[in-house]
Amino acid sequence: MTQQLAPGIIADAPGSQWSKGTRSRSKRREALVALLFLTPWLIGLVLLTLGPMLYSLYLSFTDYDLLSAPTWVGLDNFVEMTTDPRFLASVGVTLIYVAVSVPLLLVVSMLVALLLNSKMKFLTGYRALFYLPSLIGASVAIAALWRQVFGDEGLLNAFLAFLGIEHGSWVGNPDTALGTIVVLTVWAFGSTMIIFLAGLRQVPGELYEAASVDGAGPLRRFFSITVPMLTPLIFFNALMGTINAFQAFTGAYVISGGTGGPVNSTLFYTLYLYQRGFAQLDMGYASAMAWLLVLVLAAFTALFFWSSRYWVFYGDK
Amino acid sequence: MATTSLPVPRRLFPARLVKNRLLTGIIRHTLLVCLLVVILYPLLWMVAASFRPNNEIFNGLGLFSGSFTLENYANGWAAGQQGFSRYFLNSTLVTVLSIVGNLISCSLTAYAFARLEFPFKRTLFAILLGTMLLPYHVTLVPQYVLFNELGWINTYLPLIVPRFLGTEAFFIFLMVQFIRTLPRELDESARLDGAGHFGIFARIIMPLALPAIGTTAMFTFIASWNDFLGPLLYLNRADLHTVPIALNTFLDSTGENAFGELFAMSTLSLAPIVGFFIVSQRLLIEGIATTGMK
Amino acid sequence: MTWTRSALGVLALGTSALLLTGCGASGDGGGGGNGGGANDGTGEITGSIEIAWWGGDARNEKTNAVIDMFVEANEGVEANGQSADFQAYFDRLNVQAASQSLPCAVQLQGRQLNDYTSRDLLLPLDPMIESGAIDVSDIPEAVVDAGRGEDGNLYFLPYGAAYDAVGINTTLAEQAGVELPEEGYTWDDFVTFLEDAAAGLPEGTRAIDSNGGRPNFFIGWTQANGKTLFSEDGKLGFSQDDLVEYWTMWEDLREAGVTETAERTAEEPSGPDQGYFANGQLMSDTIPGNALTPVTAVLEGKGEGHEVTTIAYPSGPEGSGNALYPSGFAIPASCDNVPTAAAFVDFFTNDMEAGLVFASDNGAATNTAVLEAQLADPELSETKKHELELFQEIVANDPPTIVFPPGYQATFEAAFRQAYEQIAFGNQSVEEAAAAFIEQANAGLGG
Repeated sequence: MTQQLAPGIIADAPGSQWSKGTRSRSKRREALVALLFLTPWLIGLVLLTLGPMLYSLYLSFTDYDLLSAPTWVGLDNFVEMTTDPRFLASVGVTLIYVAVSVPLLLVVSMLVALLLNSKMKFLTGYRALFYLPSLIGASVAIAALWRQVFGDEGLLNAFLAFLGIEHGSWVGNPDTALGTIVVLTVWAFGSTMIIFLAGLRQVPGELYEAASVDGAGPLRRFFSITVPMLTPLIFFNALMGTINAFQAFTGAYVISGGTGGPVNSTLFYTLYLYQRGFAQLDMGYASAMAWLLVLVLAAFTALFFWSSRYWVFYGDK
Repeated sequence: MATTSLPVPRRLFPARLVKNRLLTGIIRHTLLVCLLVVILYPLLWMVAASFRPNNEIFNGLGLFSGSFTLENYANGWAAGQQGFSRYFLNSTLVTVLSIVGNLISCSLTAYAFARLEFPFKRTLFAILLGTMLLPYHVTLVPQYVLFNELGWINTYLPLIVPRFLGTEAFFIFLMVQFIRTLPRELDESARLDGAGHFGIFARIIMPLALPAIGTTAMFTFIASWNDFLGPLLYLNRADLHTVPIALNTFLDSTGENAFGELFAMSTLSLAPIVGFFIVSQRLLIEGIATTGMK
Repeated sequence: MTWTRSALGVLALGTSALLLTGCGASGDGGGGGNGGGANDGTGEITGSIEIAWWGGDARNEKTNAVIDMFVEANEGVEANGQSADFQAYFDRLNVQAASQSLPCAVQLQGRQLNDYTSRDLLLPLDPMIESGAIDVSDIPEAVVDAGRGEDGNLYFLPYGAAYDAVGINTTLAEQAGVELPEEGYTWDDFVTFLEDAAAGLPEGTRAIDSNGGRPNFFIGWTQANGKTLFSEDGKLGFSQDDLVEYWTMWEDLREAGVTETAERTAEEPSGPDQGYFANGQLMSDTIPGNALTPVTAVLEGKGEGHEVTTIAYPSGPEGSGNALYPSGFAIPASCDNVPTAAAFVDFFTNDMEAGLVFASDNGAATNTAVLEAQLADPELSETKKHELELFQEIVANDPPTIVFPPGYQATFEAAFRQAYEQIAFGNQSVEEAAAAFIEQANAGLGG
């Protein structure tokens, strides 16, 4: 197919001298090319993604227990949320988590990426090792590991005791349990770091050379070259980090054994959604929660994109 | 290749520079190693624990407490109806096909969104992003119903086909962002040389977006290598099981837990990812991208 | 431009088609009929069936061995087993139920049974017993009854009866200078035993876990004291005062330092072989009866010479506080091979060879002949022997049968633990938490 299309596009290539007719023809051709490029995604969207999504939207207005047919209840699920104490608790937990973990994750992964973006010995080894934690972030083994670190008899307390400080369990205390999950998230900074690293590799070296000639110091070069060149990826990581944080599930699920405890202190939004949908067989309510989250995230995403005009610089502009 | 940390005025203070460099090097390595020890301790502990007998696993926080045994590896490897060699093979098959699928479908889609103009582009892009916003738990059931109707239960199709159809918007979005950092002049000059869109895609954008491709490959590797829920729902025959399903059988909240074997096999299951990481970053993140820029 | 429009048309069409199939498939739900004579389990035993259970590697191995024996004994039968850990097992089971593709033999307990029976998803086994396809003659009646639904029909055939016991670390008890409670001891005796022990226990150990949030212990307390757990309509049968009394008992113990702290209990891993009792840090705890063997093994690994045993739950004016929690296989109404499924259910429960291979891995064998054969085996370990003998003792004491209303596992268990956590962490008074729990449980029960 490539072969058949290519000549036509080549003929149209010198765009500046197009007449009005050829321009619209070439536009149509470009749209056709775009359709070809988009075909796999469109098929997936129509056949695999949209159907289940819209079905869950329908379910959000029903009472659905998975085991028997859904019955329409209108807005009942949404109304129930306003007085459901565990729902409200989960919103609070999630908001705190998003506000704390996203900036922390971005800063830490950016710093380590910068540290690892230089010529030095064992660089590959370092990168692989720093990346390791994010490889097992979701494993069933992690709960046991986390207790070894943050439990009552864990590593952290052993260290504190060495300094003469006594402290109880971190995982088992409602005031600190959420903190340990933030640490877990930041600990697995590898993915975010890798994206920054790959972006740093794309910053053309000539820019730095030119800046150096102009006498810019390292800090200035960082803020006047690195940061602007990285903004598309900072934007990406910030947006995805926010979306992921709102949807955070695995860490809390594994560490609290699916309970969200102690005392709902790690009851993330999606964890509660899962509890309602699967453990309590209340998929209608879970779907309603999911679509409320979609609305909130859509607003956040729109805000991000709107703000991006002011601070994100694309190379294609 | 210049970097942010390279001292600039080389010619002025050559002697001090060498000393400084050595010092910075030492400081840097010390810092990194200290950081790594803290970060990796839980993992080191897991590896160490995998060499202890099952009933001594949780004896203490040190790395070398208790007796040493290779039993967990031997027993773990032979565990399950099929043994781990089979599970590793299955996981590899699913993972490789998932990577191929994601790379093809996501790069094609991303190129269209990043470089081509077409009607409803903004709407479609909004839909693309929208598909990321819904927690997957609520689409599990309708998706299962769909794959069940298609007769795809107990096949790898539900795990692989979606990847060939670009259902993971995250990677498309990632690639769009990468491609958009590339200057458009590159395409223009290629166009002047007579390249069409497929030519630009294959010969200009893809080589330049290798870091993005490497990243996508890596993330897909991790996601499908570690995927638990998908195989749990769709693969109900022991000869189809993947590594995470097999790992789950070491834990039984209603009976005996085999943490030794779990840790041993978890350690082994990390090996391919680390290997893949080293290979992919050597090939993709390091060299080619930067040379391609010049 | 036209392509876009038609593409969008396709998109809309495809979506609505999907929606229709989605709704259609789920719409058929609930009504799974079970009329017709084919459901008495008679007919040709042939073709393939799926068998599903929960458990880890050790249990999978034994179950698969039994399945192999079943296939060998029945020519023309193919059987495939699918297993997962408890929670994952039910997640998958419910998704399968939602798409009408439940395996033909699914393992259940009374705790969830009525979630499924109330939606007519299971076949009653009574016709199969009448037709002789399933034999229950060697199973004690009290045990069989634990497989009955709210409507009195038998929906799963219990093959293994789990029970909870009080595990006691005899080494620690000796150090504390207390005698083990005698058979027939009451809750008051038990509390005194714990308080006495707490005074003399070595540092770093406690008398018992902070157990106010464990539903099974509470069930034991209600049964011993003659409280009704669930009313006829599937709601809570005990009063707020009962619950306040029970939780106050635990709070007094916790505040006196007799139990583990709230924090440490909150972070305790869930498997009985991972808990503090298995670590030698607790003198006693409520554990599943069949956890004695793994707990003993873990304590041996610690090398501190701790020995443990199990005793029955405290009893009371109304007798034994030990309820049985049997597991067994049920046959879904959607099953297309009932004769084979019934044959498997019967084989798994009653076949002597199968019983010896499975070796009471999930609760004591309910078939008395199988159980006695296991006990007679000279190779049987001391701990396993004790587990089975304690089971016999409990059965002899006429254990209560509890019919759990729909929503029990989903609502009651989690809410009970959460409510007690609210008290233990000082967020709510006992009265507040009890009132909140009763309201929440009643809203979710009996659905």
